[in-house]
Amino acid sequence: MSKSTAPKKRWLISQAELEAWLDGIANARTLIAPRQESGIILYRPVAKSGEIAWHGQTSRSAHGGRPVLSVKEIFFPPTERLFTIQKTGQEIRLKETFPDWETVVFGVRPCDARGVKLLDALFLDTNPVDSFYARRRGNTTLIGLACKELGPTCFCTSVGGAPDDAQDVDIMLYETDGGYLAEAVTEKGRFLIPGGEWKETTASPQQSTYSGQFPVPEKGKWPEHFNDEYWAKMSERCLSCRACAFVCPTCRCFAVRDELVKPGEFERIRCWDSCAGENYRLVAGGHRPRAEKGERLRNRFFCKFFYYPEQYGLGAASACTGCGRCIEVCPVGVDITEVLMHLEKPA
Amino acid sequence: MYEPRIIAFLCSWCSYTGADTAGIARMKSPANIRAIRVPCSGRVSPELVMRAFDQGADGVLVLGCHIGECHYDTGNHRAAKRLPILRSLMTFAGLEPERLHLDWVSASEGERFSKIAEEFTGDVRALGPVHWRVNPDRKQVASQMLAASREAIPYPETDCAAKTDAIRKKARELLANNQVSCVIGYEVSRRGRSRPVFVYTPEETGRLVWNPDCTNNLTTYLPARLRPIKGKEPPKPVAVVVKPCDSKAINVMVAENLYRRDQVYALGVACEGIRCPDGNLQTRCVTCQEAVPIVCDTLISGATSSFIPRLSSYAREEIAELQDATPAERLEFWLGHFDRCIRCYACRQACPMCNCPVCLYERDDSTFIGLGIGLNEKRTFHLGRAYHLAGRCVGCNECERACPMNIPIGLLNQKLAEEIEATFDYRAGLTVAPSPVVTILSGEYKEG
Amino acid sequence: MNENPMLPYLGKLVEVRDLAAEIKLFRVEMLNGGGEAFRTFQPGQFAFVSAFGLGEAPFGIANASGRGPTVDFAVARLGSVTTGLHELGEGDIVGVRGPLGNWFPMKKFKGKNLIVLGGGIGGAPLRPVIQHVLDHRSDFETLTILWAARHPSLLVFTDEYDEWRAAPDTALHLTVDNPDEQWDHNVGLITQLLEKISPSTDNTVTITCGPPIMIHFVTKMLQEKMGFAPKNNYVTLEARMHCGMGKCGRCNLGEKLVCVDGPVFNMEEVGGLLETFL
Repeated sequence: MSKSTAPKKRWLISQAELEAWLDGIANARTLIAPRQESGIILYRPVAKSGEIAWHGQTSRSAHGGRPVLSVKEIFFPPTERLFTIQKTGQEIRLKETFPDWETVVFGVRPCDARGVKLLDALFLDTNPVDSFYARRRGNTTLIGLACKELGPTCFCTSVGGAPDDAQDVDIMLYETDGGYLAEAVTEKGRFLIPGGEWKETTASPQQSTYSGQFPVPEKGKWPEHFNDEYWAKMSERCLSCRACAFVCPTCRCFAVRDELVKPGEFERIRCWDSCAGENYRLVAGGHRPRAEKGERLRNRFFCKFFYYPEQYGLGAASACTGCGRCIEVCPVGVDITEVLMHLEKPA
Repeated sequence: MYEPRIIAFLCSWCSYTGADTAGIARMKSPANIRAIRVPCSGRVSPELVMRAFDQGADGVLVLGCHIGECHYDTGNHRAAKRLPILRSLMTFAGLEPERLHLDWVSASEGERFSKIAEEFTGDVRALGPVHWRVNPDRKQVASQMLAASREAIPYPETDCAAKTDAIRKKARELLANNQVSCVIGYEVSRRGRSRPVFVYTPEETGRLVWNPDCTNNLTTYLPARLRPIKGKEPPKPVAVVVKPCDSKAINVMVAENLYRRDQVYALGVACEGIRCPDGNLQTRCVTCQEAVPIVCDTLISGATSSFIPRLSSYAREEIAELQDATPAERLEFWLGHFDRCIRCYACRQACPMCNCPVCLYERDDSTFIGLGIGLNEKRTFHLGRAYHLAGRCVGCNECERACPMNIPIGLLNQKLAEEIEATFDYRAGLTVAPSPVVTILSGEYKEG
Repeated sequence: MNENPMLPYLGKLVEVRDLAAEIKLFRVEMLNGGGEAFRTFQPGQFAFVSAFGLGEAPFGIANASGRGPTVDFAVARLGSVTTGLHELGEGDIVGVRGPLGNWFPMKKFKGKNLIVLGGGIGGAPLRPVIQHVLDHRSDFETLTILWAARHPSLLVFTDEYDEWRAAPDTALHLTVDNPDEQWDHNVGLITQLLEKISPSTDNTVTITCGPPIMIHFVTKMLQEKMGFAPKNNYVTLEARMHCGMGKCGRCNLGEKLVCVDGPVFNMEEVGGLLETFL
């Protein structure tokens, strides 16, 4: 993507204008937006802007209006059919179907958008390209929504992000008094903006509140902590569930397996998996590496800050977006920020 | 007319031969029945029945030997206890109860076989096609919470400082005397969240606290810690802070031989209830019957106990509301909720009773359930898990609390707890006794 | 190549035979585009084999590329996929996805003495090494094969031992932990056999494959007792994999992914990994 130095085009719009625009999008394409469902907020298809959850805290998420699951599930759904297998006698026929619909996602927070960028490094930029991810990604436009301030578990500013960071979305919206300031970030985004109808502006968006930054250990510092006793201690309370990985914008481990559809027909699927689970590394012979909880949690943290950046060429950047969802959902209060602060300043 | 597909699990020793007898005598049996021969009706695990429905069966018929005639003595006792519970669970999840039937047919009763098969087929035919199986392309439809539920009950003010002091004092004493190797309790994190903590030395006991947010059921950690490991010294006893509901889990675990009672030192806290993040009383506490732990070595009670038996039972009203709905409405209710499940297994991992080394629903080679995160699989997982907890669930409701997707899983457990109480006059964890679902019949069973 | 890298090629089983107890050899004739993809492959590479309806699992390719147009896999019956494969017979169709991973640097091994140490089914990915050396015999100095199994019935490729023994400058040593009455070779662990042979490090590289614990003790002995430099001890590692292309994240050993950074490593590389393979 080329970065132009020309000032970005911006528009000032009212809530009503925004809703009318989103209604138009929902009519023409699939619009996915934060929606309230049984007491939580999730990214779900919406038929009209009235269904969108704009603000509000829920019992599962204290960060106003932010879905429990990250936007990852749109590009890398919990279960994906890789192909269908038809078996008749000895004959085998494989049939593929690819996701092919145009989607616009509204209300993407900067941390989630950053997560998508990080997944791109694996699914798109590292060969071979993942055809399913690539198609979903190519057909999707991201409309970002800047956070005015950090939520209670957020720490994006500590891992190189910002609550008003626009670089990973196609269009960015900033809340202003009485409306929104819209900014076209990419060509794809510009294409979606109604030309003459909106009032252009030269105003700059108001900066979000930054607070509570803390130092995070650099990538090169991680290996020396690999054998710390700390991991066994901090993981004692871990239940080995997979909630942290599944809500994470960048955890992408998956399992592949065939499942019966009906007699003679199977599908090969891939579904989410997590290195935190007890049976993740179990092999058929019974060999079970990483049998200890500490080894598994260590792997997760190392993956975020050392392995993934090494494997997929992220340079000094980490694979954690600081969204804090893992902190929010952990049933026993495992807290990644505690880990980071501990490593930076061992007690 | 609709011709239903029926799967019949027939015991090899009696009803399978009974079906033969009917055939030899040229009695008419409906062609709808696909017979599967099993060694005993006790072999028909709930997974087999659910799998049959998941694969599109309109009805499932299970036939075994008459009580008292089992080739394996008590195999059919299991069937007699299991299947009614499974049926009530599946009914609760939206299946018409008439679609699952258990009966007894001996080898010589060809006529009886014929009659039962005929009647069952007729009943299922009258119901028409089953809607249990989920089409993989089903559109997502969200379920809302039930109307009866979630009337907020504010949390009562209580004195926690005295209890915190008492826990610390006892913990210090136990560790100093080397009575236990570890005290599992609660601490408050830097973020202000109460969470489990493991304390090994008297000096660290200052971390322990008691407050209305101590929600975790800490007995979940016990089986792994108290399991003897070959070639290593037997594990030393562990002290654990328990609420009344949590404490019942110890009784169940001891009954299931996961550890011995003397391996656990229970610091039982007299409980006024636990609150949700929104400040209201948790669902489990609203129907709680016990203010004082059932299993307790030291009672931690505050200066004053403000426990008021809460006879309000809105959770039960939720169950009643669902039961009054049509099967189709119940089916949609649960599918709408299960649809949100991401199979993170937080419910299972938080559950003290879910302690199989490898979960039946996570096995690579499981033929009961796929590993996919599809709706059929998710429902099988949740119903199967609820079934496995029948007569074992102590109602701590940590599964529902741990769920990041807000699925009312606890309702399933509560429904089965009610069922078990009504059938067997049994509540899990009140004494050291195994679940009545896994024991043999003892007079409570009446045929017919 | 397919757009979908997870889509396997179809292959026809042209030969299925018992190699050892619960271990079968599957010879696959690639169909359609698979023939092109598997025209050449290197000793040490692996591929995913599908038992359609059950899933796929990774296996080291068990023959050298030069030996006919077919591809061999040795499969021990352990889990659901391998059980499914064992139920297949000649004429049945399997899926094959590959070739994947890196390989033994046979060019670098030219002019050297080779010691090949295989334990049980771990011998399968070493067979292409042996075949390659026999097919290019003058390129290499001596070839010493140490072949081990728990029991004589678990030794693989027994019908090829005569071919191996007959080759010039080639020695084959067999050992089992639990012999039966007919057994007239060594008894004991492969490390005991290795100690007995006590090879010289001079111009020599070793190649080991077997259970993780065997690799651990063999390479430890090679370095500590015999004085091998870790960079001359090659191993091929296994880890649970589901994609083989560096995507699914399951097979990492520290920052390395066994599927794309391996499965072949020398012990110097292994020593530099954060995580152990045990």
